[in-house]
Amino acid sequence: MSFSGCQHLQAFKAAHGTQSYRIIHKYFIAALSTEARLRKARSCVCHTCKTTTVRLHSCLHCVYFGCYGANHIQEHAASKNHTLAVDLVFGAVYCFACGDYIYDGELEGIAGENGKSFEDSIGLDGCWVPTDVELQLLHQNPKRRKISDNSTIGLRGLINLGNTCFMNCIVQALTHTPLLRDYFLSDKHNCQMINESERCLVCEMCRLFQEFYSGVRTPHIPYRLLHLVWTHARHLAGYEQQDAHEFLIAALDLLHRHCKGNNGLSSSNPHHCNCIIDQIFTGGLQSDVTCKECNNVSTTIDPFWDISLDLGPPPGGDARNSLYGNGDEPSSLMECLRRFTRPEHLGSSAKIKCGKCHSYQESTKQLTMKKLPVVACFHLKRFEHSTGYHKKISTFIPFPEELDMTPFMSSSRSHNNGYQTQVVQEAASSLSSQNKYSLFAVVNHLGTIESGHYTNYIRLHKNQWYKCDDHMITKASLDSVLRSEGYLLFYHKQILEYE
Amino acid sequence: MADLQERRLKDAQMRASISQKLVETGERERLKELLRTRLIECGWRDQLKAYCKDVVKQKGLEHITVDDLVAEITPRGRAMVPDNVKKELLHRIRTFLAQQSNM
Ligand SMILES: [Zn+2]
Ligand SMILES: [Zn+2]
Ligand SMILES: [Zn+2]
Ligand SMILES: [Zn+2]
Ligand SMILES: [Zn+2]
Ligand SMILES: [Zn+2]
Repeated sequence: MSFSGCQHLQAFKAAHGTQSYRIIHKYFIAALSTEARLRKARSCVCHTCKTTTVRLHSCLHCVYFGCYGANHIQEHAASKNHTLAVDLVFGAVYCFACGDYIYDGELEGIAGENGKSFEDSIGLDGCWVPTDVELQLLHQNPKRRKISDNSTIGLRGLINLGNTCFMNCIVQALTHTPLLRDYFLSDKHNCQMINESERCLVCEMCRLFQEFYSGVRTPHIPYRLLHLVWTHARHLAGYEQQDAHEFLIAALDLLHRHCKGNNGLSSSNPHHCNCIIDQIFTGGLQSDVTCKECNNVSTTIDPFWDISLDLGPPPGGDARNSLYGNGDEPSSLMECLRRFTRPEHLGSSAKIKCGKCHSYQESTKQLTMKKLPVVACFHLKRFEHSTGYHKKISTFIPFPEELDMTPFMSSSRSHNNGYQTQVVQEAASSLSSQNKYSLFAVVNHLGTIESGHYTNYIRLHKNQWYKCDDHMITKASLDSVLRSEGYLLFYHKQILEYE
Repeated sequence: MADLQERRLKDAQMRASISQKLVETGERERLKELLRTRLIECGWRDQLKAYCKDVVKQKGLEHITVDDLVAEITPRGRAMVPDNVKKELLHRIRTFLAQQSNM
């Protein structure tokens, strides 16, 4: 097969040049402007049967549009003796004399250029396609790796640098977050810290991902990361054991801040930031405060990166308990979430000024999920720090492998006077597969509040689990994951909606 | 009978206006890109490519046209698209249409 087309195309190019291909491609295949797209939408129909589907082609000689499926372009070619046509989806050229699509380097080049600017014009990154030279280089690289279904690439232990297991377990969870991995391994970070990229945590994460997926088996020593965290988040510095949850939030915040610059505003993201961290971790929490006097509801929506869930008995008196029904300590993740989203009396000591009554009134407050994040992190508040005492709650809290967040959505919110709007419920349940999550990482805390140790479980591929204990990685069963004393639970959405 | 015909006509009109909206906004290309990514991620592309290679080898490079190849692989290609990919696309299209209030 040659890359210079067939003799018919060569003859055509010699007589008419490439101008007609260029124009057809620019206006009807890679329509660059809104106007061009409007024109494309209106005019891309078969001139004979008026349908838009089944492989529309344009005659290269006279710009007749005909479909391939119902033979209209073929009939045109035969009756007018116009041998060449362009496929209006892919831009490939068909020669009716040869009876097949033909490759022509020059035309492919034109299509490539147009295609690139088109992707830019509608905000697509496009996927990276290796050039011939790059392909050759790849094949020559002796370290080239092919990933199979049972590959354990990505598994790597981390050396403990003195009570740094709180960091190691979060690093393991982050490096096995599917979308984050895709982002870093496709090298999408454009460093904004010019001349000091060694201070950029995002760059350090890039290096870390390279280390994890390099295929090397010896434990990695994350001293650069630790140093960076110490310099940027002073409260985590020192050799004492720190809280893994605190580290997670600090790391997300630093990554978000170091992404700055190419952060565009995003209207649909409650955090109004479209950096990779916000795209993956940010959800929106709706808070409805209802005045007990006039039932006026005031609603606010706040961004969140994680959800902290209370364990133990609810504080305060019976007033709060009565709303919760069974009044006891939550005994599963679902119960924690139910407790989190239940209406709560704010009591007489916490009166709020009602916008309708224009006076301070008692009210109830309810939190619900307005927008679900792609990755949901749940923090089970096992550590209690009250005045005078610190205590750890070691109760086993079961959590599922698959989680449906539908009951906790704002759209399923129970109505003020107790009944649920049926229409809303039905609509919510029909859409519920959108709100389903799968577990992919769990962070565990072993021991007491004074002397403890963090380990974690991560999922590889669809269903293989591994336990990470600093430098040691061992295979684990799903059962042992689900029976563990979870501290941080990481779930990702089953159905992704990209912006 | 008349009812059925009327419905067919309405469906066709609806399909045409949806496809026009998808092209006008560039959403169609975004969907295509998403689909492409998903099909690569789930191994669909590699599997189909391997199958294409087999077909070409079997028939001989000189004797096969793109049309032959398309006819040969289309049924298998369609059947191999995972359900959750279809669902995701459908969901995206629904969301898109819901945003287009002027339809
Ligand atoms: Zn023609
Ligand atoms: Zn036609
Ligand atoms: Zn030819
Ligand atoms: Zn950087
Ligand atoms: Zn951000
Ligand atoms: Zn009021």
